[in-house]
Amino acid sequence: MRLLARAYGRGLWDARAVLGYTILVSLTLFIVAPFLMIALRSVGKGWFGKLWLPPRLTLEWYRWAIEVGNIPEVLRNTVIIGVIAVAISTTIGLFAGWAFGRRRLPGKELLLAMFLLPLMIPSITYALGVARIFYALRLVDTHFGVALAHVAVCAPYAIMVLAATFEGLDERVLEAASVCGAGPVRRFFHVVLPLVMPGILASAIFTFTHSYNEFTLTLLTYGPHTVTLPVRTYLAVGDGYWEITSAMAVLMVAPSLLILALVQRRARPERLVGGFKGA
Amino acid sequence: MLRSQSLTTEAVVTGTLLLPAAAAFLGLFCYPMFLTLVLSLRPEGTDAGWTLSHYVAFLTDPDGRAVVLLTFGLALAATVLSVMLSVPVALALRRKMPGHRAFRVVVLVPLVVPGLIGALGLLIFWGPRGWFNLLLTQVLLLRPLVVTYTLPGLILFYVWLYFPYTCVTTLAALEGLDPAIEEAAEVAGAGRWQLLRHVLLPLITPGILAGSVLTFMAAFGAFSVPLVAGGNYRPLAVEIYKQISVPIPPHWSGASAIAVVMGVVQVGFLALYMRAVRRFGGRR
Repeated sequence: MRLLARAYGRGLWDARAVLGYTILVSLTLFIVAPFLMIALRSVGKGWFGKLWLPPRLTLEWYRWAIEVGNIPEVLRNTVIIGVIAVAISTTIGLFAGWAFGRRRLPGKELLLAMFLLPLMIPSITYALGVARIFYALRLVDTHFGVALAHVAVCAPYAIMVLAATFEGLDERVLEAASVCGAGPVRRFFHVVLPLVMPGILASAIFTFTHSYNEFTLTLLTYGPHTVTLPVRTYLAVGDGYWEITSAMAVLMVAPSLLILALVQRRARPERLVGGFKGA
Repeated sequence: MLRSQSLTTEAVVTGTLLLPAAAAFLGLFCYPMFLTLVLSLRPEGTDAGWTLSHYVAFLTDPDGRAVVLLTFGLALAATVLSVMLSVPVALALRRKMPGHRAFRVVVLVPLVVPGLIGALGLLIFWGPRGWFNLLLTQVLLLRPLVVTYTLPGLILFYVWLYFPYTCVTTLAALEGLDPAIEEAAEVAGAGRWQLLRHVLLPLITPGILAGSVLTFMAAFGAFSVPLVAGGNYRPLAVEIYKQISVPIPPHWSGASAIAVVMGVVQVGFLALYMRAVRRFGGRR
């Protein structure tokens, strides 16, 4: 009983916990307050001078964003490009991932590190060359072209995630399936596929996020018909109408937060950072 | 005989599996890099002849050197500050207090949200009419502070954007520690500060190091944020883009030369990083 009381007292006034929460809450404010201000800006009206909050609320800026900023079309472009980029990179990743994860390969580590190189070098350094090639091939300002440029950074992610997925496949499970009389086709669809599906899904989510947020490679290969959300935001920030820009930003950031929730639930966050640990 | 043949088949199958990845790597990375290198050696606006003038011009021009210094300085300052922010945060997160899951998500926010939106929010929040200056003038009754479009402001934005790399790796290193080590230190009578200073910090140094190189490299290559929030401060990546977007006709060769310089420096960092990981990362 006394022990319990002491634990309670300690819990109530634990200096370390107070310090910990102070650190974490200030960090949260540091990170989240800018987004709060964007959200408020996007619905605020007549917010001038020394006011902490907007005096009146309005949805006007969203109307402007959608009409003038052309958000629906921009969103359509972004999603089309993202889907093409995911399709190409996942295909690449499935083949290469199988080779890296399941097959004997001399110099595997080095080869994998080489394929991950585009993630580690600032993309502007090869985006210049990509732009020159795409101009020559007339791929600039096409959905396929922009998506193909995104593959440069999306494919390494797919390879990395899928190689890890295939490597994690347990040989014994496959053998057990064979012993139980499953043919190769049945084994693939009923055993392998369900086992690797989460990995493929994670890879698709990662690559889509990357394509969705990719700015540098898009900026050098986009045109009037392939404006994506990051490029649109860039142009809007330059225009300086921050209320409208904020409304655009809210429309744009919602999907990324959704993705964050998915990622947090489905995958290890270190992987987001990763790519450097393989070698 | 049969065995060697099956080995060849194996190799062919593996090679075929790697073919799409190799094609993407060569076509979207190697060839563009090669093209950039060639272009950087051509006189501006031509496809013939060789010259080193763009490199000479960039590296001897005081503006060019200022750009390189600025890029290094920004990345270094952002890295140091990220470590100073990450260590306490990681220590606090490690204790798994109620609600720590939510805080873990918060740390990842800058990595997931598009950099441009982060920049917009930061520009508003730290701007003359943002909450930071309201806090200064209304609550603390101080004079307003210009943060946006200044060098310290840009460093602050870099920290906001890139500290998660350091934080996540530091946290991973902390959580990978054997609890027995800490218990032993406590049994041996180490105080909280001694424990941190002499036990925890040395043990997680590889994690901090790995994370800070990631932060450094990301900050070195930063593009979108300095592009919109840098004001007159242009690091390398922005300078490259300005070379092809501002002058008419665009300076492709000049931009390529800067890109080559940047790529070479980054590869150097990467080599350093790999060595550091190999040296310290034996425990992984």
